[in-house]
Amino acid sequence: MADKKDRFIVTTGEPVGVIAAQSIGEPGTQMVLRSFHYAGVASSIATSGLPRLVEIVDTRKKPATPFSYVYLKGKAAKNFEDAEKVVKKISEVRVNDIARRILENFSKGTILIKLDDQRMEANELTAKGVASKIEKLTKIECSASENAILVKTHTKNTKQIRSMAVQIGKLTVNGIENAGRAVIKQDKETGEFYIVTNNSNLVGILGIEDVDSSKIYTNDIFEIYRVFGVEAARNAIARELDTVLREQGINVDKRHLFILADAMTLSGGIKNVGRRGLSGEKESIFARAAYEETVKHLINAAAFGERDDMRGVTENVLIGKQIMLGTGSVTLAIKKEDLAKISEKKGKK
Amino acid sequence: MAKRAINDKCYVYINGKILGYVKDGRAYANEIRTARRGGVLSGEVNVSYVKKLNAVHINTDSGRIRKPYIIVEGGKSKLTPELIEKLQKKEVDFNYLLRHGVLEYLDAEEEENALVVFKEADATPDTTHLEVDTTSIFGFTLNTSPFPEHNNAARHAMLSNFIKQSQGLYATNFNLRFDSRAYLLFYPQAPIVSTAVYDAARMQQHPSGQNFVVALTTYYGYNMADAIVINKGAVDRGLGRSMFYKTYTDEERRYPGGQKDVFRVPPPTAEGYLGEHAYSKLSEDGIIEPETTVEEGDVLIGKVAPPRFLEESISASGLEEKIRDDSSTLKAGERGVVDSVVFTESTGATKVVKVRIKSLRIPEKGDKFASRQGQKGVAAYIVPQEDMPFNDHGIVPDLLLNPHSVPNRLTFGHLLEEIAGKAGALSGKKIDGTAFAEKGSSRIEEYGKTLEENGFDKFGDETLYDGITGRRFKAKIFNGIVYYNRLYHMVSNKLQVRSRGPVQILTHQPTEGKARQGGLRFGEMERDVLVGYGASLLLKERLLDQSDKATVLICKECGNIGYYDYIKRTVVCPIDGGTAMSEVEISYAFKLLLDEIKSMHIFPGLKLKE
Repeated sequence: MADKKDRFIVTTGEPVGVIAAQSIGEPGTQMVLRSFHYAGVASSIATSGLPRLVEIVDTRKKPATPFSYVYLKGKAAKNFEDAEKVVKKISEVRVNDIARRILENFSKGTILIKLDDQRMEANELTAKGVASKIEKLTKIECSASENAILVKTHTKNTKQIRSMAVQIGKLTVNGIENAGRAVIKQDKETGEFYIVTNNSNLVGILGIEDVDSSKIYTNDIFEIYRVFGVEAARNAIARELDTVLREQGINVDKRHLFILADAMTLSGGIKNVGRRGLSGEKESIFARAAYEETVKHLINAAAFGERDDMRGVTENVLIGKQIMLGTGSVTLAIKKEDLAKISEKKGKK
Repeated sequence: MAKRAINDKCYVYINGKILGYVKDGRAYANEIRTARRGGVLSGEVNVSYVKKLNAVHINTDSGRIRKPYIIVEGGKSKLTPELIEKLQKKEVDFNYLLRHGVLEYLDAEEEENALVVFKEADATPDTTHLEVDTTSIFGFTLNTSPFPEHNNAARHAMLSNFIKQSQGLYATNFNLRFDSRAYLLFYPQAPIVSTAVYDAARMQQHPSGQNFVVALTTYYGYNMADAIVINKGAVDRGLGRSMFYKTYTDEERRYPGGQKDVFRVPPPTAEGYLGEHAYSKLSEDGIIEPETTVEEGDVLIGKVAPPRFLEESISASGLEEKIRDDSSTLKAGERGVVDSVVFTESTGATKVVKVRIKSLRIPEKGDKFASRQGQKGVAAYIVPQEDMPFNDHGIVPDLLLNPHSVPNRLTFGHLLEEIAGKAGALSGKKIDGTAFAEKGSSRIEEYGKTLEENGFDKFGDETLYDGITGRRFKAKIFNGIVYYNRLYHMVSNKLQVRSRGPVQILTHQPTEGKARQGGLRFGEMERDVLVGYGASLLLKERLLDQSDKATVLICKECGNIGYYDYIKRTVVCPIDGGTAMSEVEISYAFKLLLDEIKSMHIFPGLKLKE
């Protein structure tokens, strides 16, 4: 068994990074050609294919279509009504979602929010409740009538009132801020209920009691990095890459993706794959100059009297030296002269 | 809310410029049309009503593509049987019909307002026009292909290109022409399966292909994936044989300062003299004689030119003026016989020489052939006739096409042409393959009947015997006659080899491209592959030893590149004058990079390790 396992260990000097790059890059070229779109429910369209792949390797701060999966524990996982209660707690409702219109009155310095009865009912909200929530968040006096809220701004500056009205529209009056709209789904195999949101706020969602904190997932890699740390972020990168490629019917070995994810998170943060990340931070001046912004790198190197130790691949190919990889990774351990000395000694004995 | 037009007023544009507006655009457009048909307005005026914008566009400018249609009114064609009769008697002509409101030309914009039918029988009261002929929905080239309505549209795009690339009798005065490149098929044949457009254009008088006996079968592994197998016997009898003509032109140019080029055998003193051997085939006047066999490197037109720079002629010591060799030589990889030499004069009253080289092109492995159905193939094997399959009559196919070429490409026209061609050959009649011709699907039965009458299977299947073993094939093989074109892509014009050769001056790297005897680029991705395999020495060999290896001297003190001083017989560093140097092998591209960095006022020092 041990023997068999050892046979699969990568040989010393194997350029695993190049192999990983080729293994991901080659099928990547096919992705551009067959990008298909799903016709279906508008809300379920997540970025996929090449745009998503680019998003991951470029380490965008926020994905174009963030979402999170929230798994439940206890009764809520089995019972629809209980799950619905959790959804009510999570699902983000903003003033804009429940307001029919938001009217500013510049002469009186007030903002009138006309509420939509149907939407209020659907979200089980009352005008009073919403008003107190707005008051709490903005620290501005509000009064509620049956289906309207009046915000007294105490200012007559048109510009201020305008911006206030816009900000009030964005206030979260129910649910978790930035969690997005939540929808219940049922796992086909286990029959358990889980929640899908179209934005992600892990910290907020984890604060809810019925949420299974061991299974929560989001496609926002930076969110994972902030909440769970680099190790989790590294796994998230690999997993997201795998999902994107698999969706396109491309099968890339996970180990290649792990190499990429490892390289991106090696420093403890998340680095992108480009001139402001992995490639831009290469040790060799020549390797950096060969990639992008040639003159910038050369001038900087000159200004600081930098030195290139010629240890990488690119720079050695450039000057025409044997690369220190594969068959080139071996060097002499004993010098020729020393070898002569050793054999001399042996001869004496 | 009901959808309303963007404008309540219907604006009228003439050639894109606004003219004014009318109340009812549609009626206005129709009014213009009536006036045009009545001869009040020019027939070159086109008008269209754009419903989406509620606007009328009138176009009278040049450059619009227009197409004739028969006018239909109240479901009845204006081209009445009486008129057709008159046409046949040649009492009236096309222009008569145009003038009398029977035909009219529509442009792309006006077509949007028209409702066109193929057949008069399909016309309804709403119909506005009738196609002059159903084939006119295809272009000219496609209409020379038989049965296009039975093929996939993607193949139409391909076959239209192939037909244009085919070798044939491109002009009957080919012997007098000096085209820079020309291809001439030796025994061109008119196709057995022809089309109305092909005949109307009198294409049969200068055809571009031959009728091949084609069997739809494999031949061992030789016709996989668009490869084709050709009968050597047929090739020896002239199948696909052609001549390639190429003209070399040169001129006695005049230069400012009264100097001019001279046609003559260059003297050995001329700059860039190619050696006595290269000029050996030239006659006294410095031009090659007709019927001379020439090989690559042979000079065709000897010419001397004045030096490129003025100083050179001045600085030349002695009385003799310095001259430069500017002869035209036969390009690398070419060979042939001088066909014709012509002396003329250019518009600038300078002497011009044109030398036409001909070279015989017998079909060989690597030459491209295509049918008129978008079925192309490259000859992979020219089989001796005795090894080809044969049928009961002893007929041996000229070409073996892999049956896998047909199903997924949906070229049913190819199969139809095979049967039609066979029926035509057996009955001695030409077959009409015009698109949408009468009888449509019953054609196949008609051809089948002809085949049966001549003792063949009605579906075109035949019993074939293996030429090598003599055994009967278990399956019956579909075969017939298809018109094939030999395309001008021939290996002999494309073949290129390099082991050693010229390098670029700037980088010392091998040149690129066939004309410069170049190599094939070992690019970045190829480099990555060798890195991926860890083949470090192979990589070094490709990128250094076989490319731009340069040995330079590096100063041990300052790291600058030095040189060997032949006078002092010592190595020198140009910066500190030191003589402690070591020889290092680097790529010339890197030396160039160091030079360029130095030009940016950066000193790149090299620290060497033993």
